Amino acid sequence: MATPTAERSAAPTHVDEPRQAGHVVQLDGSSLVRVGARPRLLDYVQRLWAFRHFIIYDSHSKVQTANSNDAMGRVWMVVNPILSGLAYFLVFGLLLDLSRGISNFIGYLIIGVFMFRYTTSAVSSGASSMVSNQSVVQAFNFPRASLPFAINVRELFANVPMLIVMALLVITIGDIPLADTPPTPVSVDWLWLFIFPVLALNFLLSTGLGMLLARAVSAYTDVKHMISFGMRIWFYTSAVFFTVDRFAGSPGGEYIEFVMYHNPMFCVLDIIRSTWLYGEMADPYRWVVLTVSSVSIFIIGFLVFWHGEEKYGRER
Amino acid sequence: MSTPVRNYTPRRVNWRSSGAPATEAPAPTATGELDILEDEQLFEEISWAEEDSAPVVERLDSSDIAVAVDHASMIYRIRSSTEYLNSTGRFSRQLRRITGSGWANVPALQDLSFVVRQGESVGVIGTNGSGKSTLMKLLTGKIRPTTGEIYATSTPIMLGVNAALVKQLSGRENIKLGCLAMGLTPKEAAEKYDMVVELSGLEDSLNLPLKSYSSGMASRLQFAIATAVDPDILIIDEALNTGDAQFRARTKRRLDEVRQQAGCVFLVSHSLGTIKQMCSRVLWIEQGRLLADGDPEWVTQQYQEYTEHKSQNRMRSAQIVYERTLMQLDQVQVEFDSGTRPKRAG
Repeated sequence: MATPTAERSAAPTHVDEPRQAGHVVQLDGSSLVRVGARPRLLDYVQRLWAFRHFIIYDSHSKVQTANSNDAMGRVWMVVNPILSGLAYFLVFGLLLDLSRGISNFIGYLIIGVFMFRYTTSAVSSGASSMVSNQSVVQAFNFPRASLPFAINVRELFANVPMLIVMALLVITIGDIPLADTPPTPVSVDWLWLFIFPVLALNFLLSTGLGMLLARAVSAYTDVKHMISFGMRIWFYTSAVFFTVDRFAGSPGGEYIEFVMYHNPMFCVLDIIRSTWLYGEMADPYRWVVLTVSSVSIFIIGFLVFWHGEEKYGRER
Repeated sequence: MSTPVRNYTPRRVNWRSSGAPATEAPAPTATGELDILEDEQLFEEISWAEEDSAPVVERLDSSDIAVAVDHASMIYRIRSSTEYLNSTGRFSRQLRRITGSGWANVPALQDLSFVVRQGESVGVIGTNGSGKSTLMKLLTGKIRPTTGEIYATSTPIMLGVNAALVKQLSGRENIKLGCLAMGLTPKEAAEKYDMVVELSGLEDSLNLPLKSYSSGMASRLQFAIATAVDPDILIIDEALNTGDAQFRARTKRRLDEVRQQAGCVFLVSHSLGTIKQMCSRVLWIEQGRLLADGDPEWVTQQYQEYTEHKSQNRMRSAQIVYERTLMQLDQVQVEFDSGTRPKRAG
């Protein structure tokens, strides 16, 4: 007979080994499926496609309500990047005087800051998509990759006003001359349309990175701290407020240039700046680097994310 | 079995039913002792009978099966900042205390197996914290069991009040979002919309954001959204107990419809009346193990006896009911024909 345990519960005090099964059930399992199993890659893509309405509706509704607690509401979507652009202008343009030798520095800075803000928020919210949507993940059965996708579509929607403001600012104040640099007049022409393929590749890049990091964050939430650090380093090294030419001639300059030219984010900025500010085609090599890196990061991110499909719902 | 405990009144007048927490098990009174002795004999008898029997082999038609649970167990491994208290090494204890991190292992379900056929409605009972919800999470595939696997003809769908909704969105948008998240197409979602609204009874507040809803309203909406699908294998978790009488009547009608269509139903409830009324079979899960699996009348009777002992703080008697019931359990082992163990996803 069992004796009362210390915590006075009626728990089985003897933990007995699994007893010999008294009843063996034989069956043919070919009509059954394993519950919660990860689908094969093609099935998974198909399912994801079937959930496209969910992805679009979810991102659309989240954009609408993103600032619903603020008195100024969606105005913040526009005001936010302007304010941060102003802050960088004050620090780097006026105080540190990094604008030397950059023609159209204001436009240069606006494009860098706006595009980088967009990418940063897309990547970091994509990375925490599994952790911050734990309740949704546990409540419904959907391909988990819908969430990072939805977040990136949401960021794209949310940044449409930002992009329009960016274009307007570049047209109006982009070519105001600063100090000793001769301005290049900005004019709108067909080259501006290159923003669309750049945005598409940027979308692949941020979605791929988001999925890659989402798997890591879901396994170890500690990674989240590293992401904000890494994004900041990336920001400061992507020529947002200086030119790569600065390093020409300095010791080790060619290595720095090599790294810069293979940084997809630098390519994004460089293509937009060439076409918008200086009215010329970007170096074709930028396109090659951007296309190859964003497509491969997207594919790797997707595969890594799919591989962990069964793990996202666990308690933490 | 023993005498029904409901009619049993202790002879000692000062034996309080729910008061002073006894440090030891309550000293058995004359009647109590008799009770226990009786049970003890029973306990012995069954245990002898059990060891002699050889396993019964049964062959099931595979088209007959809805769910097969094969040796599933679950241990949650969660982050805990007080885990250093359990650390034995002096150095590692201090290290964990300073960093405030550590893993806590929470055993939730011990190894269990059972097979449910098509057309069965299975009630699941057990006291709080016994592992019912964990079993349901395993069945729906939200989490993967630590050992063993769950197989089914299609992924079971849980109907509960825990479907996640977005607080800033209006009720209308939440209905659409929830339907899409369950995999309905926009067309199907639009078709189900009126049904969901009618079931939730929230026609007047559909345009308000969800954060303005009372908790009762929100859970009504959640439940109504969850019923928009017609799953093949259905799990209902305590859903019948939410809301006022009016809502409950409406829910019951819809639930009956869904249950008619479903091939197999699991009903998790604390209401033994509902279980007995609706189920053809009952699983009793207690302390993380499958304690009984069988006829609703008999299982609920054992369960009632057990909870009554526990609520009266008669731990030893409760323990005896526990052991006695466990003795009767027909332990099932699932064997697949060679090469047919399912691997693909549903």
